[in-house]
Amino acid sequence: MALDRKIAYINLSTGQTEIKPIPLELRKKFIGGRGLDAYLLYNHTPQGCDPLSPENPLIISGGLLTATCASATARAHFMAKSPLTGLLGSANMGGFFAPELAWAGFHHLVITGKAEKPVYLWIHNGEIEIRDAAGLWGKTSADTQWAIREELGDEEIKSAVIGPAGENLVRYACVMTGIKNAAGRTGMGCVMGSKNLKAVAVRGTMDIKISYPLEALEFNKKFIEQITSAKVNKTQGALGTPFIWGATNCWGGIRTRNFQYNQMENADDIEPEAIDEIANKTIGPHHMAGCFGCQVHCRTQYRIPSGPYAGKYDEGPEYTSLGAFGAEPDCKSAETLLTANYLVNQYGVDNLEIGSIISWAMELYELGIIGSKETDGLDLSFGNEKALLEMIHRICTRKGWLGNVLADGGVPAAASIGKNSFDYLIQVKGMNNLHSDERATPALALGIATASRGSDHLRSRPAIDLYHLPVDVLRKIYSSPIAYSGPLSSEQTEYVGKAWEVFWQENCYMAVDCLGICKYHTVFLGATLPNFEDWPKAIYYNTGLEFTPEDIWAVADRCNNIERLFNLREGLTRNDLSKGDTLNHRYFDEPLRRGAPDVIGLSIDRDKFNGMVDEFYGHHGWDQNGLPTAETLKRLGLDQEPTHLL
Amino acid sequence: MAIESTKVSASETLTKTRSFGKIRCHNPSCMKRMEPTPGSKEITCPTCGMAYRIYWLGPNLPRIRGPVWDVNRKLIEKSGSSKNNPQ
Amino acid sequence: MDKFLTVNYEKCTGCRLCELVCSVVHEGVSNPAKSSIQIVKWEDEGRYIPMICQSCEDAPCQKVCPVGAITRDKTFGFMSVNYDACIGCRMCVEVCPFGAMNYNRTTHKVFKCDLCGGDPQCVKFCEVKAIEFVPAEVISSQQKREGAARQYAAAQKQASSIAEAAA
Repeated sequence: MALDRKIAYINLSTGQTEIKPIPLELRKKFIGGRGLDAYLLYNHTPQGCDPLSPENPLIISGGLLTATCASATARAHFMAKSPLTGLLGSANMGGFFAPELAWAGFHHLVITGKAEKPVYLWIHNGEIEIRDAAGLWGKTSADTQWAIREELGDEEIKSAVIGPAGENLVRYACVMTGIKNAAGRTGMGCVMGSKNLKAVAVRGTMDIKISYPLEALEFNKKFIEQITSAKVNKTQGALGTPFIWGATNCWGGIRTRNFQYNQMENADDIEPEAIDEIANKTIGPHHMAGCFGCQVHCRTQYRIPSGPYAGKYDEGPEYTSLGAFGAEPDCKSAETLLTANYLVNQYGVDNLEIGSIISWAMELYELGIIGSKETDGLDLSFGNEKALLEMIHRICTRKGWLGNVLADGGVPAAASIGKNSFDYLIQVKGMNNLHSDERATPALALGIATASRGSDHLRSRPAIDLYHLPVDVLRKIYSSPIAYSGPLSSEQTEYVGKAWEVFWQENCYMAVDCLGICKYHTVFLGATLPNFEDWPKAIYYNTGLEFTPEDIWAVADRCNNIERLFNLREGLTRNDLSKGDTLNHRYFDEPLRRGAPDVIGLSIDRDKFNGMVDEFYGHHGWDQNGLPTAETLKRLGLDQEPTHLL
Repeated sequence: MAIESTKVSASETLTKTRSFGKIRCHNPSCMKRMEPTPGSKEITCPTCGMAYRIYWLGPNLPRIRGPVWDVNRKLIEKSGSSKNNPQ
Repeated sequence: MDKFLTVNYEKCTGCRLCELVCSVVHEGVSNPAKSSIQIVKWEDEGRYIPMICQSCEDAPCQKVCPVGAITRDKTFGFMSVNYDACIGCRMCVEVCPFGAMNYNRTTHKVFKCDLCGGDPQCVKFCEVKAIEFVPAEVISSQQKREGAARQYAAAQKQASSIAEAAA
């Protein structure tokens, strides 16, 4: 049974649009969402193209299950060549944009070219219009959305927009929808800015047909119960993603002062429970919100309690903000954290990247590698909360020498700053890391080193590795749908079996990204949440397509390989410090100094780490340089790529 | 229909392993399960000595909010890592 | 049976699962435009309010209908549309003060909540219980209790501030 779902090609230089159906053959091979985006990216990006050039396609999609009667399928995916890394650009966001795009008649958009002056796209029930955005340019991400609604006279319009950071081509600007939902990483907002594309506004009242509605409903009910009854999701539904902080800051997994320490001591005011109290006071007892169709409701609502922005409404902060504006710059006040969170949402910039990059600059300032000449007199000491907020303004508006340099991303900034500044930059493939410190967790270290979009925790992180699960439970999860009889270990500080965990998680996350499901509904933070064996039913009842768990695994494997092919084509080499699958020397050379007694003194063992990378490549069917072998490509049906079927 | 609608998946069978009312010590090789007294504010791991502040999300949903900082500091100093490691 | 669909908007997380479920149950498609329940949002301040048919005692939709197609369901008490009589003039859509009477673009018919034949599915799927299906007396007793709690809290606060001032 073919799905009646469409892809649209939009050329902003010529103003031409073309609409096509999505062939079933490609659905079978790539499912949709991020997987099909990766296929499109590999097929439509000229090798070596400048990420800010009109040739770089911006691909926007919803997943296969988006807007169907499956749980938490609100995710929208954005893909392009990244202006931050020069490799794969890929970011995912929740909210209400992706389902609205589906009801407007589209599951994938491929946007190329560059408009002569600022424009936005208006996509409505199968129709696409390019409209003048002169009146929107310069507006914050939230104001842009309200202005579009007013202009078009429909309050139900959902828009994916850029804020001033995207307009100013900050290389890690993000795409925003709603108050805080962001396709945050790898600079997808910068790509929009380079195309003079301020927003994609969508509104749809078209049907998404459900193949077996009653079965889909019944299954969804069961699915939701399995998800909401998990301890992890009950906690997340009360405190949002910051709930993770409790555990990680206990054992010592929080980068503090850039990378100097691994625990933020006495920071009780920014603990999730303290943020929750502020939300309670400023909003009320019911201050959690959800994305489309999701019963986990992990989005905290709050008003800034004090300071120059007191009373402003905002959502979050996510766990990422606690590190980016708390631990990494060593700032301990909730007011600063919540203000910074508000500013990045309004500017439309990746909170994680900007916090990390400012903290790196703070370390350089402490070391004397940069001084007041570079900072235009700003005291960039760790813990200087005013300086943190000021740097957010400067970077997003490219103000001052340092603001402008840091807006280009860590690796180019290190080249501009010179000396040994690069040695202190906590990045992989040119993208900075989350505030997590992976020196006590080899599995997590392997994950960030090999993640396809650069240092990142949402591509392959086996977070359940931290739960000390018995080996038989681990085996139950990690030996399905593909048998694995190799070693597994419950110890988070171990190296054995971790390469398989990372490989399995990489396929698991790819699968949810293809389906459009949120990662909190699979084996990410909760071991007992649905995975490969549970998805075939959701797919069948909603779309009528038949996939076995093994089929979904094979699709995920294929999609991960096409992302790999893209990265290799654009210059990834295994041991390249800014374009490879390796870590900053500090992971190997600087032992941990804080946290639980068991982790103090630990660092990553270089030989064992390289062994894990070898093993990980082996699981993928890649050679020792990380290149897929001819046999692997043939097995996955990728030996003829690019095939230009779409 | 090609899908097995009655088969119980691995993740469904694992839901039985969920344990409410308990928390785990966060010291990696310890990870001892502890059952705090309802309403209590702190707990010390009987095995490794780490001390935690507890937050109650519900009557059977305790969680670790963070370490008890002065105990945490003593443990860091005991493991010889106090050098160059100010608070 | 006097059971009402009732909304506690403070609890609503704005996820719109109810809209999805309603359109899937009634039309076999996912399409909030075909849902009888709609979440109205003020995103700039995070307010979400589910809008439903209030089954008004003196129902404007019934009054305005020129052909008498809208009557009260005897078993469940909701206003029901008789499509054999309905002429599709959409006067009921215009007159409803809650926007609870809707228009289906595909079938060109008006539609509204029918309480899923006495077992509203939106209620079943709302985990935070922002929508409930409860007897009338339960609603008023719940509201009395909540109102009393608010009054008590205010009195306590006043008492403690007086005590503080005295100290």
